[in-house]
Amino acid sequence: MEFLKEGLLRVDPGLLLWTIITFIVMLLVLWKAAWRPIVDSLDARAEKVRFEIDNAERTRLEAEKLLAQHKAMMDNAKNEAAQVISKGRDEAEKIKNEIVDKANAESRSIAERAKKEIELAKDKALADIKTEVVVLSTEIASKIISKNIKAEDQKALVEEALNKIGTVQ
Amino acid sequence: MKRIIPLVIIVVAYVLFLVFMVAPSHGHHEGGGVGELVTGHLTDHVIEHTHVNPHDNILLKQLKGINNAIAHVNETVLSEKLLGIFDMRITKWVMMMWLAGLMGLGIFIPLAVQIKKAKMGSESRWVNWWESLIQWVHEEIVEPNFEGKYAKKATPYFLSLFFFILFCNYLGLVPGMATATGNLAVTGGLAVLTLIGIIGVGVIKQGPLWFYKGTVPHGVPFVLGIMLLWPIELIGLIIKPFALTIRLFANMTAGHVVILIFIYLVMMFNSYFVGIGSVVMSLMIYALEMLLVAWLQAYIFTVLSAMFIGSSLHAH
Repeated sequence: MEFLKEGLLRVDPGLLLWTIITFIVMLLVLWKAAWRPIVDSLDARAEKVRFEIDNAERTRLEAEKLLAQHKAMMDNAKNEAAQVISKGRDEAEKIKNEIVDKANAESRSIAERAKKEIELAKDKALADIKTEVVVLSTEIASKIISKNIKAEDQKALVEEALNKIGTVQ
Repeated sequence: MKRIIPLVIIVVAYVLFLVFMVAPSHGHHEGGGVGELVTGHLTDHVIEHTHVNPHDNILLKQLKGINNAIAHVNETVLSEKLLGIFDMRITKWVMMMWLAGLMGLGIFIPLAVQIKKAKMGSESRWVNWWESLIQWVHEEIVEPNFEGKYAKKATPYFLSLFFFILFCNYLGLVPGMATATGNLAVTGGLAVLTLIGIIGVGVIKQGPLWFYKGTVPHGVPFVLGIMLLWPIELIGLIIKPFALTIRLFANMTAGHVVILIFIYLVMMFNSYFVGIGSVVMSLMIYALEMLLVAWLQAYIFTVLSAMFIGSSLHAH
Protein backbone atom coordinates (compact mmCIF):
# COMPACT_ATOMS: atom_id res chain seq x y z
CA MET A 1 0.00 0.00 0.00
CA GLU A 2 3.05 2.20 -0.25
CA PHE A 3 1.88 3.51 -3.64
CA LEU A 4 -1.38 4.71 -2.08
CA LYS A 5 0.37 6.71 0.60
CA GLU A 6 2.85 8.22 -1.81
CA GLY A 7 0.31 8.54 -4.64
CA LEU A 8 -3.42 8.76 -4.21
CA LEU A 9 -3.54 9.84 -0.60
CA ARG A 10 -0.65 12.28 -0.67
CA VAL A 11 -1.56 15.84 0.22
CA ASP A 12 0.79 18.25 -1.47
CA PRO A 13 0.72 21.63 0.33
CA GLY A 14 1.89 23.39 -2.81
CA LEU A 15 -1.04 22.04 -4.79
CA LEU A 16 -3.36 23.04 -1.95
CA LEU A 17 -2.05 26.58 -2.12
CA TRP A 18 -2.29 26.60 -5.91
CA THR A 19 -5.92 25.46 -5.62
CA ILE A 20 -6.75 28.32 -3.29
CA ILE A 21 -4.90 30.84 -5.46
CA THR A 22 -6.49 29.60 -8.69
CA PHE A 23 -9.94 29.50 -7.21
CA ILE A 24 -9.70 32.93 -5.62
CA VAL A 25 -8.39 34.50 -8.81
CA MET A 26 -11.21 32.91 -10.77
CA LEU A 27 -13.70 33.99 -8.11
CA LEU A 28 -12.53 37.60 -8.10
CA VAL A 29 -12.39 37.94 -11.88
CA LEU A 30 -15.77 36.31 -12.38
CA TRP A 31 -17.26 38.28 -9.49
CA LYS A 32 -16.36 41.55 -11.15
CA ALA A 33 -16.81 40.56 -14.76
CA ALA A 34 -19.57 38.00 -14.79
CA TRP A 35 -21.54 37.18 -11.65
CA ARG A 36 -22.48 40.66 -10.62
CA PRO A 37 -23.86 41.75 -14.02
CA ILE A 38 -25.50 38.37 -14.56
CA VAL A 39 -27.14 38.22 -11.15
CA ASP A 40 -28.16 41.87 -11.39
CA SER A 41 -29.77 41.48 -14.77
CA LEU A 42 -31.42 38.20 -13.80
CA ASP A 43 -32.78 39.84 -10.66
CA ALA A 44 -33.96 42.81 -12.68
CA ARG A 45 -35.66 40.51 -15.14
CA ALA A 46 -37.27 38.48 -12.37
CA GLU A 47 -38.45 41.72 -10.77
CA LYS A 48 -39.83 42.88 -14.09
CA VAL A 49 -41.61 39.59 -14.73
CA ARG A 50 -43.09 39.70 -11.25
CA PHE A 51 -44.21 43.26 -11.82
CA GLU A 52 -45.72 42.35 -15.17
CA ILE A 53 -47.57 39.41 -13.66
CA ASP A 54 -48.88 41.61 -10.86
CA ASN A 55 -49.86 44.19 -13.41
CA ALA A 56 -51.64 41.61 -15.55
CA GLU A 57 -53.48 40.34 -12.50
CA ARG A 58 -54.52 43.84 -11.57
CA THR A 59 -55.62 44.57 -15.10
CA ARG A 60 -57.58 41.34 -15.23
CA LEU A 61 -59.37 42.18 -11.99
CA GLU A 62 -60.13 45.65 -13.28
CA ALA A 63 -61.43 44.26 -16.54
CA GLU A 64 -63.61 41.82 -14.64
CA LYS A 65 -64.98 44.64 -12.54
CA LEU A 66 -65.65 46.71 -15.62
CA LEU A 67 -67.35 43.77 -17.28
CA ALA A 68 -69.57 43.27 -14.25
CA GLN A 69 -70.38 46.96 -14.27
CA HIS A 70 -71.20 46.81 -17.93
CA LYS A 71 -73.42 43.81 -17.41
CA ALA A 72 -75.24 45.59 -14.62
CA MET A 73 -75.61 48.66 -16.80
CA MET A 74 -76.89 46.60 -19.68
CA ASP A 75 -79.44 44.93 -17.41
CA ASN A 76 -80.50 48.30 -16.06
CA ALA A 77 -80.83 49.70 -19.54
CA LYS A 78 -82.91 46.72 -20.64
CA ASN A 79 -85.18 47.11 -17.66
CA GLU A 80 -85.47 50.80 -18.23
CA ALA A 81 -86.22 50.31 -21.89
CA ALA A 82 -88.89 47.77 -21.03
CA GLN A 83 -90.33 50.16 -18.48
CA VAL A 84 -90.28 53.01 -20.95
CA ILE A 85 -91.98 50.89 -23.56
CA SER A 86 -94.66 49.65 -21.22
CA LYS A 87 -95.18 53.12 -19.82
CA GLY A 88 -95.44 54.52 -23.33
CA ARG A 89 -97.93 51.85 -24.25
CA ASP A 90 -100.02 52.63 -21.17
CA GLU A 91 -99.93 56.31 -21.85
CA ALA A 92 -100.80 55.81 -25.48
CA GLU A 93 -103.71 53.63 -24.41
CA LYS A 94 -104.86 56.29 -21.98
CA ILE A 95 -104.52 59.04 -24.55
CA LYS A 96 -106.35 56.97 -27.11
CA ASN A 97 -109.16 56.30 -24.67
CA GLU A 98 -109.32 59.93 -23.73
CA ILE A 99 -109.42 60.99 -27.33
CA VAL A 100 -112.12 58.51 -28.14
CA ASP A 101 -114.13 59.52 -25.07
CA LYS A 102 -113.71 63.16 -25.89
CA ALA A 103 -114.69 62.58 -29.48
CA ASN A 104 -117.70 60.62 -28.36
CA ALA A 105 -118.73 63.33 -25.92
CA GLU A 106 -118.22 66.03 -28.48
CA SER A 107 -120.18 64.26 -31.12
CA ARG A 108 -122.96 63.72 -28.65
CA SER A 109 -122.95 67.37 -27.61
CA ILE A 110 -122.84 68.47 -31.27
CA ALA A 111 -125.82 66.28 -32.03
CA GLU A 112 -127.62 67.68 -29.01
CA ARG A 113 -126.88 71.19 -30.00
CA ALA A 114 -127.96 70.56 -33.53
CA LYS A 115 -131.23 69.13 -32.27
CA LYS A 116 -131.73 72.15 -30.02
CA GLU A 117 -130.93 74.50 -32.80
CA ILE A 118 -133.34 72.72 -35.11
CA GLU A 119 -135.98 72.94 -32.39
CA LEU A 120 -135.28 76.59 -31.88
CA ALA A 121 -135.34 77.26 -35.61
CA LYS A 122 -138.64 75.43 -35.90
CA ASP A 123 -140.13 77.44 -33.01
CA LYS A 124 -138.79 80.59 -34.47
CA ALA A 125 -140.14 79.71 -37.91
CA LEU A 126 -143.55 78.96 -36.41
CA ALA A 127 -143.58 82.22 -34.51
CA ASP A 128 -142.53 84.05 -37.66
CA ILE A 129 -145.26 82.35 -39.59
CA LYS A 130 -147.77 83.30 -36.87
CA THR A 131 -146.78 86.94 -36.97
CA GLU A 132 -146.74 86.84 -40.74
CA VAL A 133 -150.19 85.34 -40.67
CA VAL A 134 -151.42 88.00 -38.26
CA VAL A 135 -149.90 90.73 -40.44
CA LEU A 136 -151.34 89.16 -43.58
CA SER A 137 -154.70 88.73 -42.01
CA THR A 138 -154.64 92.27 -40.67
CA GLU A 139 -153.80 93.53 -44.13
CA ILE A 140 -156.47 91.39 -45.62
CA ALA A 141 -158.88 92.65 -42.96
CA SER A 142 -157.97 96.27 -43.61
CA LYS A 143 -158.47 95.75 -47.30
CA ILE A 144 -161.81 94.21 -46.63
CA ILE A 145 -162.71 96.96 -44.16
CA SER A 146 -161.76 99.58 -46.66
CA LYS A 147 -164.34 98.02 -48.99
CA ASN A 148 -167.03 98.56 -46.26
CA ILE A 149 -168.08 95.36 -45.24
CA LYS A 150 -170.66 94.79 -42.62
CA ALA A 151 -169.82 94.17 -39.08
CA GLU A 152 -171.13 90.61 -39.17
CA ASP A 153 -169.33 89.95 -42.32
CA GLN A 154 -166.15 91.19 -40.86
CA LYS A 155 -166.68 89.05 -37.84
CA ALA A 156 -167.36 86.10 -39.95
CA LEU A 157 -164.26 86.79 -42.00
CA VAL A 158 -162.04 87.09 -38.95
CA GLU A 159 -163.33 83.85 -37.56
CA GLU A 160 -162.96 82.20 -40.84
CA ALA A 161 -159.42 83.47 -41.13
CA LEU A 162 -158.66 82.38 -37.56
CA ASN A 163 -160.05 78.97 -38.22
CA LYS A 164 -158.01 78.68 -41.32
CA ILE A 165 -154.90 79.57 -39.41
CA GLY A 166 -155.87 77.11 -36.80
CA THR A 167 -156.17 74.39 -39.31
CA VAL A 168 -152.87 75.38 -40.94
CA GLN A 169 -151.28 75.09 -37.64
CA MET B 1 -11.43 44.17 -27.35
CA LYS B 2 -14.42 42.23 -26.10
CA ARG B 3 -14.12 39.87 -29.06
CA ILE B 4 -10.42 39.32 -28.51
CA ILE B 5 -10.61 38.18 -24.88
CA PRO B 6 -12.61 35.00 -25.54
CA LEU B 7 -10.45 34.26 -28.55
CA VAL B 8 -7.30 34.50 -26.45
CA ILE B 9 -8.83 32.35 -23.77
CA ILE B 10 -9.83 29.70 -26.31
CA VAL B 11 -6.37 29.67 -27.85
CA VAL B 12 -4.68 29.39 -24.45
CA ALA B 13 -7.04 26.63 -23.41
CA TYR B 14 -6.37 24.76 -26.62
CA VAL B 15 -2.63 25.04 -26.14
CA LEU B 16 -2.89 23.80 -22.57
CA PHE B 17 -5.00 20.92 -23.76
CA LEU B 18 -2.40 19.93 -26.31
CA VAL B 19 0.33 20.22 -23.71
CA PHE B 20 -1.37 17.52 -21.70
CA MET B 21 -1.53 15.30 -24.73
CA VAL B 22 2.22 15.40 -25.17
CA ALA B 23 3.24 15.69 -21.54
CA PRO B 24 5.18 12.61 -20.45
CA SER B 25 3.24 10.31 -18.19
CA HIS B 26 4.51 9.91 -14.68
CA GLY B 27 6.12 6.69 -13.62
CA HIS B 28 6.75 3.59 -15.68
CA HIS B 29 3.71 1.54 -16.46
CA GLU B 30 5.43 -1.54 -17.76
CA GLY B 31 6.41 -3.97 -15.10
CA GLY B 32 4.38 -2.17 -12.42
CA GLY B 33 1.13 -3.76 -11.30
CA VAL B 34 -2.37 -2.37 -11.50
CA GLY B 35 -1.55 -0.19 -8.51
CA GLU B 36 1.26 1.50 -10.40
CA LEU B 37 -0.95 2.01 -13.41
CA VAL B 38 -3.80 3.53 -11.45
CA THR B 39 -1.65 5.78 -9.34
CA GLY B 40 0.35 6.81 -12.42
CA HIS B 41 -2.87 8.07 -13.98
CA LEU B 42 -4.49 9.52 -10.93
CA THR B 43 -1.64 11.24 -9.12
CA ASP B 44 -0.10 14.58 -9.67
CA HIS B 45 3.27 15.11 -11.27
CA VAL B 46 5.38 18.13 -11.93
CA ILE B 47 5.69 19.29 -15.54
CA GLU B 48 9.17 18.22 -16.64
CA HIS B 49 11.33 18.70 -19.67
CA THR B 50 10.37 16.56 -22.59
CA HIS B 51 12.71 15.56 -25.35
CA VAL B 52 12.09 17.42 -28.61
CA ASN B 53 12.42 14.91 -31.42
CA PRO B 54 13.83 16.48 -34.60
CA HIS B 55 11.26 14.52 -36.63
CA ASP B 56 8.26 16.04 -34.82
CA ASN B 57 6.10 18.37 -36.86
CA ILE B 58 6.22 22.11 -36.22
CA LEU B 59 3.08 22.19 -34.05
CA LEU B 60 4.33 19.41 -31.83
CA LYS B 61 7.72 21.09 -31.55
CA GLN B 62 6.11 24.32 -30.42
CA LEU B 63 3.85 22.53 -27.96
CA LYS B 64 6.81 20.70 -26.51
CA GLY B 65 8.51 24.09 -26.38
CA ILE B 66 5.66 25.47 -24.23
CA ASN B 67 5.88 22.40 -22.04
CA ASN B 68 9.61 22.90 -21.68
CA ALA B 69 9.12 26.58 -20.93
CA ILE B 70 6.84 25.70 -18.02
CA ALA B 71 9.39 23.11 -16.93
CA HIS B 72 12.06 25.79 -17.12
CA VAL B 73 9.98 28.10 -14.91
CA ASN B 74 9.56 25.18 -12.52
CA GLU B 75 13.27 24.65 -12.35
CA THR B 76 14.27 28.27 -11.96
CA VAL B 77 11.65 30.57 -10.42
CA LEU B 78 9.59 28.02 -8.53
CA SER B 79 12.28 25.56 -7.56
CA GLU B 80 12.57 26.86 -4.00
CA LYS B 81 9.89 25.79 -1.58
CA LEU B 82 7.71 28.72 -0.52
CA LEU B 83 8.12 29.19 3.27
CA GLY B 84 9.83 25.82 3.29
CA ILE B 85 6.50 23.99 2.99
CA PHE B 86 4.80 24.85 -0.24
CA ASP B 87 6.23 23.24 -3.31
CA MET B 88 4.90 25.68 -5.86
CA ARG B 89 6.16 23.94 -8.98
CA ILE B 90 3.49 23.83 -11.67
CA THR B 91 2.05 20.36 -12.00
CA LYS B 92 -0.41 18.75 -14.34
CA TRP B 93 -3.11 19.21 -11.72
CA VAL B 94 -2.37 22.92 -11.46
CA MET B 95 -2.68 23.18 -15.21
CA MET B 96 -6.01 21.36 -15.07
CA MET B 97 -7.29 23.84 -12.53
CA TRP B 98 -6.12 26.71 -14.68
CA LEU B 99 -7.92 25.16 -17.58
CA ALA B 100 -11.10 24.85 -15.52
CA GLY B 101 -10.71 28.47 -14.39
CA LEU B 102 -10.14 29.62 -17.96
CA MET B 103 -13.22 27.68 -19.04
CA GLY B 104 -15.15 29.58 -16.41
CA LEU B 105 -13.82 32.92 -17.62
CA GLY B 106 -14.27 31.99 -21.28
CA ILE B 107 -17.88 30.98 -20.76
CA PHE B 108 -19.20 33.42 -18.22
CA ILE B 109 -17.64 36.73 -19.20
CA PRO B 110 -19.08 36.72 -22.74
CA LEU B 111 -22.28 35.35 -21.22
CA ALA B 112 -22.49 38.34 -18.88
CA VAL B 113 -22.14 40.66 -21.86
CA GLN B 114 -24.87 38.85 -23.75
CA ILE B 115 -27.23 38.70 -20.78
CA LYS B 116 -26.70 42.36 -20.09
CA LYS B 117 -27.41 43.20 -23.71
CA ALA B 118 -30.67 41.22 -23.91
CA LYS B 119 -33.00 42.96 -21.50
CA MET B 120 -35.94 40.69 -22.22
CA GLY B 121 -33.92 37.48 -22.21
CA SER B 122 -31.74 36.13 -24.96
CA GLU B 123 -33.05 33.76 -27.59
CA SER B 124 -29.77 31.91 -27.82
CA ARG B 125 -29.90 28.36 -26.44
CA TRP B 126 -26.33 28.64 -25.21
CA VAL B 127 -27.16 31.68 -23.11
CA ASN B 128 -30.39 30.21 -21.82
CA TRP B 129 -28.71 26.95 -20.87
CA TRP B 130 -26.11 28.68 -18.70
CA GLU B 131 -28.67 31.14 -17.42
CA SER B 132 -30.92 28.36 -16.21
CA LEU B 133 -27.92 26.70 -14.52
CA ILE B 134 -27.04 29.95 -12.79
CA GLN B 135 -30.65 30.39 -11.74
CA TRP B 136 -30.68 26.83 -10.45
CA VAL B 137 -27.57 27.37 -8.33
CA HIS B 138 -29.04 30.63 -7.08
CA GLU B 139 -32.42 29.15 -6.16
CA GLU B 140 -31.50 25.64 -5.04
CA ILE B 141 -28.17 26.18 -3.34
CA VAL B 142 -27.91 29.76 -2.12
CA GLU B 143 -31.47 30.92 -1.44
CA PRO B 144 -32.46 28.12 0.98
CA ASN B 145 -29.37 28.75 3.12
CA PHE B 146 -29.03 32.52 3.03
CA GLU B 147 -31.93 34.84 3.51
CA GLY B 148 -32.64 38.18 1.94
CA LYS B 149 -29.71 40.43 1.23
CA TYR B 150 -27.12 37.81 2.15
CA ALA B 151 -28.23 35.57 -0.69
CA LYS B 152 -27.18 38.14 -3.23
CA LYS B 153 -23.83 38.63 -1.58
CA ALA B 154 -23.14 34.93 -1.30
CA THR B 155 -24.25 33.95 -4.79
CA PRO B 156 -20.98 34.77 -6.63
CA TYR B 157 -18.90 32.59 -4.31
CA PHE B 158 -21.13 29.56 -4.67
CA LEU B 159 -21.56 30.03 -8.40
CA SER B 160 -17.76 30.07 -8.76
CA LEU B 161 -17.38 27.07 -6.48
CA PHE B 162 -20.03 25.05 -8.27
CA PHE B 163 -18.76 25.75 -11.76
CA PHE B 164 -15.11 25.34 -10.80
CA ILE B 165 -15.74 21.88 -9.38
CA LEU B 166 -18.06 21.02 -12.24
CA PHE B 167 -15.51 21.99 -14.88
CA CYS B 168 -12.73 20.15 -13.04
CA ASN B 169 -14.90 17.04 -12.84
CA TYR B 170 -15.84 17.16 -16.49
CA LEU B 171 -12.35 17.98 -17.72
CA GLY B 172 -11.16 14.92 -15.84
CA LEU B 173 -13.43 12.83 -18.00
CA VAL B 174 -11.72 13.97 -21.20
CA PRO B 175 -9.19 11.30 -22.18
CA GLY B 176 -5.64 12.50 -21.67
CA MET B 177 -6.63 15.03 -19.04
CA ALA B 178 -6.67 14.66 -15.29
CA THR B 179 -9.32 15.10 -12.64
CA ALA B 180 -8.10 17.94 -10.49
CA THR B 181 -10.85 17.27 -7.94
CA GLY B 182 -9.61 13.70 -7.57
CA ASN B 183 -6.79 14.92 -5.39
CA LEU B 184 -6.87 15.47 -1.65
CA ALA B 185 -4.88 18.69 -1.88
CA VAL B 186 -7.34 20.27 -4.34
CA THR B 187 -10.50 19.23 -2.50
CA GLY B 188 -8.74 20.12 0.73
CA GLY B 189 -7.98 23.58 -0.61
CA LEU B 190 -11.62 24.17 -1.48
CA ALA B 191 -12.72 22.80 1.88
CA VAL B 192 -10.27 25.12 3.65
CA LEU B 193 -12.01 28.00 1.91
CA THR B 194 -15.32 26.69 3.24
CA LEU B 195 -13.83 26.48 6.75
CA ILE B 196 -12.54 30.02 6.44
CA GLY B 197 -16.04 30.99 5.26
CA ILE B 198 -17.70 29.34 8.26
CA ILE B 199 -15.36 30.95 10.77
CA GLY B 200 -15.20 34.30 8.98
CA VAL B 201 -18.96 34.66 8.61
CA GLY B 202 -19.48 33.55 12.21
CA VAL B 203 -16.97 36.01 13.61
CA ILE B 204 -18.13 38.92 11.44
CA LYS B 205 -21.87 38.41 11.86
CA GLN B 206 -21.96 37.27 15.49
CA GLY B 207 -18.85 38.85 16.92
CA PRO B 208 -15.56 37.29 18.03
CA LEU B 209 -17.34 35.49 20.85
CA TRP B 210 -18.94 33.32 18.18
CA PHE B 211 -16.10 30.85 18.74
CA TYR B 212 -17.66 29.99 22.07
CA LYS B 213 -21.28 31.19 21.89
CA GLY B 214 -21.95 30.02 18.38
CA THR B 215 -20.68 26.56 19.03
CA VAL B 216 -21.78 25.74 22.57
CA PRO B 217 -25.55 25.58 23.27
CA HIS B 218 -27.12 28.15 25.60
CA GLY B 219 -27.65 27.37 29.24
CA VAL B 220 -24.62 25.15 29.61
CA PRO B 221 -22.40 25.94 32.62
CA PHE B 222 -19.25 27.67 31.48
CA VAL B 223 -16.83 25.13 32.94
CA LEU B 224 -18.69 22.23 31.35
CA GLY B 225 -18.91 24.19 28.12
CA ILE B 226 -15.25 25.00 27.89
CA MET B 227 -14.09 21.60 29.11
CA LEU B 228 -16.39 19.26 27.22
CA LEU B 229 -18.77 20.77 24.70
CA TRP B 230 -16.51 23.34 23.12
CA PRO B 231 -13.81 20.81 22.12
CA ILE B 232 -16.49 18.52 20.71
CA GLU B 233 -18.07 21.33 18.75
CA LEU B 234 -14.63 22.42 17.57
CA ILE B 235 -13.95 18.91 16.31
CA GLY B 236 -17.36 19.02 14.60
CA LEU B 237 -16.36 22.26 12.95
CA ILE B 238 -13.17 20.71 11.61
CA ILE B 239 -14.89 17.51 10.56
CA LYS B 240 -17.31 19.34 8.27
CA PRO B 241 -14.68 20.50 5.73
CA PHE B 242 -12.78 17.26 6.26
CA ALA B 243 -15.85 15.29 5.19
CA LEU B 244 -16.23 17.60 2.19
CA THR B 245 -12.62 16.92 1.23
CA ILE B 246 -12.89 13.15 1.48
CA ARG B 247 -16.29 12.94 -0.20
CA LEU B 248 -15.36 14.81 -3.34
CA PHE B 249 -11.93 13.18 -3.58
CA ALA B 250 -13.22 9.66 -3.04
CA ASN B 251 -16.12 10.02 -5.45
CA MET B 252 -14.04 11.46 -8.24
CA THR B 253 -11.18 9.01 -7.71
CA ALA B 254 -13.27 5.88 -7.31
CA GLY B 255 -14.94 6.21 -10.71
CA HIS B 256 -11.64 6.70 -12.45
CA VAL B 257 -10.06 3.82 -10.59
CA VAL B 258 -12.91 1.54 -11.67
CA ILE B 259 -12.64 2.72 -15.30
CA LEU B 260 -8.87 2.16 -15.31
CA ILE B 261 -9.12 -1.26 -13.70
CA PHE B 262 -11.71 -2.39 -16.21
CA ILE B 263 -9.37 -1.29 -18.97
CA TYR B 264 -6.45 -3.01 -17.22
CA LEU B 265 -8.36 -6.28 -17.24
CA VAL B 266 -7.81 -6.44 -21.01
CA MET B 267 -4.05 -6.34 -20.51
CA MET B 268 -4.26 -8.83 -17.65
CA PHE B 269 -6.21 -11.48 -19.51
CA ASN B 270 -5.06 -10.81 -23.08
CA SER B 271 -8.48 -11.91 -24.34
CA TYR B 272 -10.93 -10.37 -26.79
CA PHE B 273 -13.92 -11.55 -24.79
CA VAL B 274 -12.68 -9.94 -21.63
CA GLY B 275 -11.89 -6.90 -23.78
CA ILE B 276 -15.44 -6.55 -25.02
CA GLY B 277 -16.88 -7.02 -21.55
CA SER B 278 -14.47 -4.72 -19.78
CA VAL B 279 -14.73 -1.93 -22.37
CA VAL B 280 -18.52 -2.04 -22.15
CA MET B 281 -18.34 -1.97 -18.38
CA SER B 282 -15.86 0.88 -18.30
CA LEU B 283 -18.02 2.81 -20.77
CA MET B 284 -20.99 2.33 -18.48
CA ILE B 285 -19.01 3.60 -15.52
CA TYR B 286 -17.83 6.49 -17.70
CA ALA B 287 -21.41 7.36 -18.59
CA LEU B 288 -22.36 7.17 -14.92
CA GLU B 289 -19.53 9.55 -14.04
CA MET B 290 -20.49 11.86 -16.87
CA LEU B 291 -24.22 11.96 -16.28
CA LEU B 292 -24.41 11.70 -12.55
CA VAL B 293 -21.31 11.73 -10.39
CA ALA B 294 -19.49 14.72 -11.86
CA TRP B 295 -22.68 16.71 -11.55
CA LEU B 296 -23.85 15.41 -8.24
CA GLN B 297 -20.53 15.84 -6.44
CA ALA B 298 -20.22 19.45 -7.56
CA TYR B 299 -23.75 20.03 -6.30
CA ILE B 300 -23.17 18.25 -2.99
CA PHE B 301 -19.91 20.06 -2.26
CA THR B 302 -21.49 23.42 -3.03
CA VAL B 303 -24.77 22.85 -1.22
CA LEU B 304 -23.03 21.55 1.90
CA SER B 305 -20.64 24.50 1.88
CA ALA B 306 -23.64 26.81 1.57
CA MET B 307 -25.38 25.06 4.47
CA PHE B 308 -22.33 25.27 6.71
CA ILE B 309 -21.56 28.89 5.92
CA GLY B 310 -25.23 29.89 5.98
CA SER B 311 -25.76 28.28 9.38
CA SER B 312 -23.04 30.40 10.97
CA LEU B 313 -24.91 33.56 9.94
CA HIS B 314 -27.21 33.24 12.97
CA ALA B 315 -26.99 31.73 16.38
CA HIS B 316 -28.93 28.49 16.50
